[in-house]
Amino acid sequence: MGKRWGVFLTMVLGISLSVVGLTGPASAKEVAYLSLADYTGPIAGLNVPADMGLEDFIKEINTKGGIDGVTIKFIGIDTRYDVARAVSAYKRYRRTPRLLMVNSISTGIGKAVARLIEADKKAQIVPGDGEFQAHISRTFLWGPAYQDAFAATLDWILDDWKKKGKSGAPVVGYLSWDNPYGREHLRGGTEYAEKIGIKLLPPEFFPPGTLKHDVYLTRLANAGANYIHAGGVDPTPTNVIRDGYSLGLTKTIQFTADYWGPTALGVGVHAEALEGTVITSFFQRGEDARNNAFVTDQWKKYRGSMDSFNEVYGMGMSWGMTYVAGLKKALKAAGYEKLEADDMYKAYQELTGLEKNGIQGPCAYSPTSRLGSKVVKIYQVKAGKIVPITDWREAPNAVGLHSFK
Amino acid sequence: MIEFLQHSITGLMIGSLYALVAAGIVLVYKSTHVVSLAHGQLVAFGALFFWLFLGGLGLPFWVGLIPAFILTALLGLAIERVALRPLIGQPLLAAFLMTFAIFISLEGVFVLYLKGETRTLPHFLPEGNLVLSGISVPINQLIGFCVALLLFGLVSLIFKYTKLGLGMRATAEDHRLAQSAGIVVKNIFSYIWILSGVVAAIAGIATANVMDIYYMLPYIGINGLIVAICGGLDSLIGALIVGLLLGLVENVGAAYLDPLVGGGIKDVAGYAVLLLVLLIRPYGLFGLVKIERI
Amino acid sequence: MRPCGVFDKSYALDIAIIRTWQHWAILISALLVLYLFPLFGSYYLVSFINLLSISIIVVLGLQIVSGLCGQISFGQAAFMAVGAYTSSILTIRYGVSFWLALPLSGIMAGAVGIIGGAPSLRIKGMYLAMATIAIHFVVIWLILHMQITGSFKGLYPMPPTIGGFEFDSDERMFYIIVTVMIIMTYGARNLMRSKVGRAFVAIRDNDLAGEVMGVNLYYNKLLAFFISCFYAGVAGSLWAHLITVVNTEQFTLLHALEYVGMLIIGGMGSIPGVFFGVLFIRILNELVMFASPALAKAVPWLGSSPAASLGLIAFGLAMAVFLVFEPRGLAHRWEIFKSSYRLYPFAH
Repeated sequence: MGKRWGVFLTMVLGISLSVVGLTGPASAKEVAYLSLADYTGPIAGLNVPADMGLEDFIKEINTKGGIDGVTIKFIGIDTRYDVARAVSAYKRYRRTPRLLMVNSISTGIGKAVARLIEADKKAQIVPGDGEFQAHISRTFLWGPAYQDAFAATLDWILDDWKKKGKSGAPVVGYLSWDNPYGREHLRGGTEYAEKIGIKLLPPEFFPPGTLKHDVYLTRLANAGANYIHAGGVDPTPTNVIRDGYSLGLTKTIQFTADYWGPTALGVGVHAEALEGTVITSFFQRGEDARNNAFVTDQWKKYRGSMDSFNEVYGMGMSWGMTYVAGLKKALKAAGYEKLEADDMYKAYQELTGLEKNGIQGPCAYSPTSRLGSKVVKIYQVKAGKIVPITDWREAPNAVGLHSFK
Repeated sequence: MIEFLQHSITGLMIGSLYALVAAGIVLVYKSTHVVSLAHGQLVAFGALFFWLFLGGLGLPFWVGLIPAFILTALLGLAIERVALRPLIGQPLLAAFLMTFAIFISLEGVFVLYLKGETRTLPHFLPEGNLVLSGISVPINQLIGFCVALLLFGLVSLIFKYTKLGLGMRATAEDHRLAQSAGIVVKNIFSYIWILSGVVAAIAGIATANVMDIYYMLPYIGINGLIVAICGGLDSLIGALIVGLLLGLVENVGAAYLDPLVGGGIKDVAGYAVLLLVLLIRPYGLFGLVKIERI
Repeated sequence: MRPCGVFDKSYALDIAIIRTWQHWAILISALLVLYLFPLFGSYYLVSFINLLSISIIVVLGLQIVSGLCGQISFGQAAFMAVGAYTSSILTIRYGVSFWLALPLSGIMAGAVGIIGGAPSLRIKGMYLAMATIAIHFVVIWLILHMQITGSFKGLYPMPPTIGGFEFDSDERMFYIIVTVMIIMTYGARNLMRSKVGRAFVAIRDNDLAGEVMGVNLYYNKLLAFFISCFYAGVAGSLWAHLITVVNTEQFTLLHALEYVGMLIIGGMGSIPGVFFGVLFIRILNELVMFASPALAKAVPWLGSSPAASLGLIAFGLAMAVFLVFEPRGLAHRWEIFKSSYRLYPFAH
């Protein structure tokens, strides 16, 4: 046994001891919220600001003494987009006293954890997979399902087409990531396009992190697309539309994106390329979010300058509002001593109509609905700013058109 | 026909980026026999440093370039001195795993700084497209392409005509022989990592010109690795030719095969080519064939 | 491990894996503790041992092809996916019982592994390693673009049953997984001592010399790949029925790299090394993952995501520091410890 080995062992011991030392005892009355988020992986751009919003919101609640004296404990785990890590993390924390809600961010993780959630009689929220609306379970969506929002985009496209005085059916191209998320929009979206008489071209898929999207864009353009829907989590849609701009396609083709499309930060940098892009969003974006004092006050208090403000921050706050509202109901029904995740599950189903300070439309959770909200707003990039071009409007039910096996 | 040429040109432009990334990996392998996974991070940090000076501090292009080169080279040197030098004489796989460990650590630093945001380089090259008989090429990418060609020429010249290059070539041949000929092999390792850092910075800046600086940027290192292997790990010219070829195959493959198989050809085109090339030529297209003796 | 002064008195004793009655005592009591663990251990620890055991099976396979036979493979995650999908398809679509599907998925993965390992006769060293990375991506791509695998939707296999008893929780699956792990370990340990194992080592040390001595290179290399992938396939099947959801996002190149990392940190060519390596990486991973929220709680101004990035940095650094101190793996240290124990109280 060399001296070096001793040094190494001491280091390992020291690190482990300090880790153990950090996990202190819990406070008196506390409920927990577990976020299985991707802070360092492909969708970090979405997860980090959203969880920032939620974390700050919870801090704000806790410093004011919590809800009826009950404070909220936020546990943020970095899954790195890895299902095995997320499942392991869930198993580690599932026995946490009064773990009332789990947020599983990513399609793969949501599906893997859903099984465990059912068995444990807990509840979780996931991004927008229509499957969870088609089969009612203990899994709730953040907002409308992906396919519903896509259908709303198609509605807008049809309106725009008619407004421009053109005849015949508009031709819409779709390109997105080559993974489950990228295909979710079409499970129901395809049927909806058929129903309202829009011609959807064969979809294009590319791996995340692709350098240039010229091939896909030219193929869609050659097939006669009038509109192109760019999927993927930002910055992917921004890069797709940038490529479209440098190919000169933005002049003739209208680009659209879903709610993970360009945020004000990206639009600020690529104003010229993104000009005219239409974004369908279930939470406030761009100027709307910047004018929402409820959101910006909290940002200024915890994060300082508005220069790096990201609208997704507000969406994170809306998770917090739903959680707090659910907690109040659950506390009333079961009391703190007997509080369990099942109570939260029941409480969430009674949140129909809950207002979220305008960040998002009224809550649509009910015994028959798992949608966080039914309404979306259509935004457009104009002169480097994201401005609303419609009011909140109901997204069509595209989930119901698809048969989920 | 025009369409095919257009897809090919776009592919070649992307391919030049792959070649630039691969060049750094080849340089390191050539003299140290370590396949570096960490190179993708060096590329990303090169781009990030350049952004810091250009976008962050607002320095002009030429002024921002130099500190970015220096910082990336220093990062390369630090990797060599701190992490890889203790592993000289140890199994090469341990060194390979070390570069993976460095990749993870640097990734942590990268995302810690970015906090999930993206950074975009300001336009420092002329915008617009060059149109030649129906084929359009973005000018800034064309410049990147030329820089790649120039860089390969320059590095080859260094290898061929300078004393340092001679030392590097001797080291590539055999570490012990080089040592006994009076070449300080450890110093050569340091120089090669510095050189590789500078090449990585150029690759990073050229890539960030096309793509934003965000989480996915370091993963271009994987493409660089495919190119380096296909071309032969110790061949610079192989990296250049295969890099261009890979960009071409990916792009043209995506253009003509995607509709047949339902999309996603870009995911596998490179790997399919890699397998094919290795089956025909086990040491890559231009790699040195080792004669084995018992 | 024999203390000083114990000698083999018969041939049977000389070739025995377990040599003294103390060894038997330790082994039996260790197995007893392991099998009774779900009765007193926490749920999290039980599920962690499940994860460890599955990783151990995968890395044992890797040890055979890389540690013994010297063919570096980064395809282990993809072969695990083949096993997981085979098992799911067999049980869901064809109603095959899990107990039959388990070995079948191993054989299927092994068959794919033979195709994947075919380049190994021509390609060597780092080139072969990169070829296996290519195989990883091709396999995953094929799974995603086939109908029978459920394409992007993935598959939902059911937990195994035996006469109406459902293994539907971690505590119940624990017995299946740990038993399979022990059998597979025993198999790998014995393989090392057999003719095949010695042929593998000959190929690793110098394949040309081995061929001259009469080792059939192609047959043995492919056999090594088959056995290695059989292990991965069995592990994949266990994983599928444990987690009951299978999709390709569970089998990434990062996992394959991690498995090779476990192998190198544990030590090439040693069965105890597999256990050390898996324990090291998995525990480090869990420590880092769960230290981050604790850190975020202790230092409130930091926030969750920067704490996670710090965790990532710590993970890489710990691995790097380990490699600097112990580049030959923990098994190397274990051997040194064993020999000094055997010689105690003498110095040499």
